[in-house]
Amino acid sequence: MADVAFLAEFVDGHPTRSALELAAGAAELAAAAGGGAVGLAYGPGAADGAAGLGAAGAARVVVLGSEAAPAVTIAGPLVEAVRDAGLVAVLAPATPDGRDLSGVLVGSLGLPGFGPVRAVRMEGGAVRCEMSTLQGAMITASQPAPSAPATSVVLVSSGTYAPSEGGSGTAVVSQAPAADSPQAKVRIVETAAEAAAIAALEEAEIIVAGGRGVGSEAGFEALNQLAAVLGGVVGASRAAADAGWVPYQLQIGQTGKVVKPALYLAVGISGAIQHRVGMQAAEHIVAINRDPDAPIGEFADLFVVGDLFEIVPRLTAEIERRKGA
Amino acid sequence: MKIVVCVKQVPATTAEKRYTSELRLDRAATEAVINPLDEYAIEQALRLKEGGVVDEVVYLSMGPDSASEALRRSLAMGGDGGVLVTDPALAGADEWVTARVLAAALDKLAPEVSLMGMASDDARGSLVPGAVAAIRGVPLLAYGSELRLTDGAAQIRRLNPTGFDLLEAPLPVVASVTDQVGEPRYASLKGIMAARRMELTTWALADLGLDPADLAPLTRVVAADPPPAKPPAQVISGVAPDEAASRVADWLAERKLIA
Repeated sequence: MADVAFLAEFVDGHPTRSALELAAGAAELAAAAGGGAVGLAYGPGAADGAAGLGAAGAARVVVLGSEAAPAVTIAGPLVEAVRDAGLVAVLAPATPDGRDLSGVLVGSLGLPGFGPVRAVRMEGGAVRCEMSTLQGAMITASQPAPSAPATSVVLVSSGTYAPSEGGSGTAVVSQAPAADSPQAKVRIVETAAEAAAIAALEEAEIIVAGGRGVGSEAGFEALNQLAAVLGGVVGASRAAADAGWVPYQLQIGQTGKVVKPALYLAVGISGAIQHRVGMQAAEHIVAINRDPDAPIGEFADLFVVGDLFEIVPRLTAEIERRKGA
Repeated sequence: MKIVVCVKQVPATTAEKRYTSELRLDRAATEAVINPLDEYAIEQALRLKEGGVVDEVVYLSMGPDSASEALRRSLAMGGDGGVLVTDPALAGADEWVTARVLAAALDKLAPEVSLMGMASDDARGSLVPGAVAAIRGVPLLAYGSELRLTDGAAQIRRLNPTGFDLLEAPLPVVASVTDQVGEPRYASLKGIMAARRMELTTWALADLGLDPADLAPLTRVVAADPPPAKPPAQVISGVAPDEAASRVADWLAERKLIA
């Protein structure tokens, strides 16, 4: 048996978008490996919602924890669920939580770790992982060494797989036995909300992102309007987040979110390599910048040289006009 | 209280990167710097020392002899000592091997906090902090925008989808911090001179009780190619804003990106 497992985070009894994406990926890889997809579920309400992962592609689900707690605290049951389970791979989201849990798995069990990957396939009974390395300078493919244990840990970038829709599978649900781990000592001592509504950038099909050129918090209002008329959401470069014009949760780039929308509109963003690694996978990239030599001109599909304060409101009005026509 | 900051030498962002015929990064052809994200960890450690919470800041690096340069540059920012783990058997180390070696060196140094940058600039996997925590059997507090130390415990401020959480674990811990901890300081001339004179400790695998035979990488690169070239951007330039807006709308409509 050659099963492929995936980490499935739950919020209020429902799997997150990344859980559904990874379920589809695990089902695809498991089919190629001759096994099934196994959900490793955790988070508030995971026990109640676990069976629902069957529709997304899972053959069975192991519930690691159903409480609201830092993700890393499920490390003990996670390690025991993966140890000796005959898995070809464990897919994890390339988020901070996914990276924490993957690192603990690699260290606890001595497993090969890969990622973040943009594509995975089965080759010779093992995963072959394709990733963009050295800030996009190279596309590399990696595999487990011949002497490595059979289970690989793979961080998967969001948007690599589309959730499988309308599946009718039913998953067999089991509860993982309790297992102790030093990670169980991590606890939340305080939680604070800063921004009321923050869009899920990783799920957005259209992102209007602003950078240093936007100039102020007020400057982002024009971007909000353009995003609204496009049916998209607003993001930002690190410069704009550092300046306090938008919350850090909107930051896209090396130290922020990595996104893969159908359309990425970069407004007043020069296109430093740290930003580029967060958005270069976008299908269409449009840049608006006053500086004709801005590096973003090297990788945009459409580059508008001009004043964003003049162009963005007119573009919003023009799209609105065409929609009404 | 002692903090050990792990620093990695990586190719400079602007450097041209080449792979050798063994599909390893050609380090000889590349300008090397401290991983920029590790500089934030250094800054965080030095601030805690200046705040009187930490007595000693030591840097730990693993790499070829030339990685001692990263330790000297770190010491030029501040700090009390540097340790380089270097051994010919470590060429081609992957995350697992790196984590094993760092964990063994950290066991020997026995700090209350083992601190790292949130990721290395070259691979961006971020697996090493969690792997080191697991191997050492201590809690992991990763992706902190701030590290705080209290009596017997460490806390990090970590973003959640709408705000932040304050996470706490008893010492000792492995922690990592993001670029939100505050801009790293520049090295002063005095710091640079002092760092040059400082004696670095060098350990081989045998000094850590590790057998090279147990440290075969678990992953291997099987292909490395430059990404496919992208056609040059279509440029709209030197036109009135109304026309620019209209042409962008046309472009979006042609690609069915607006209804």
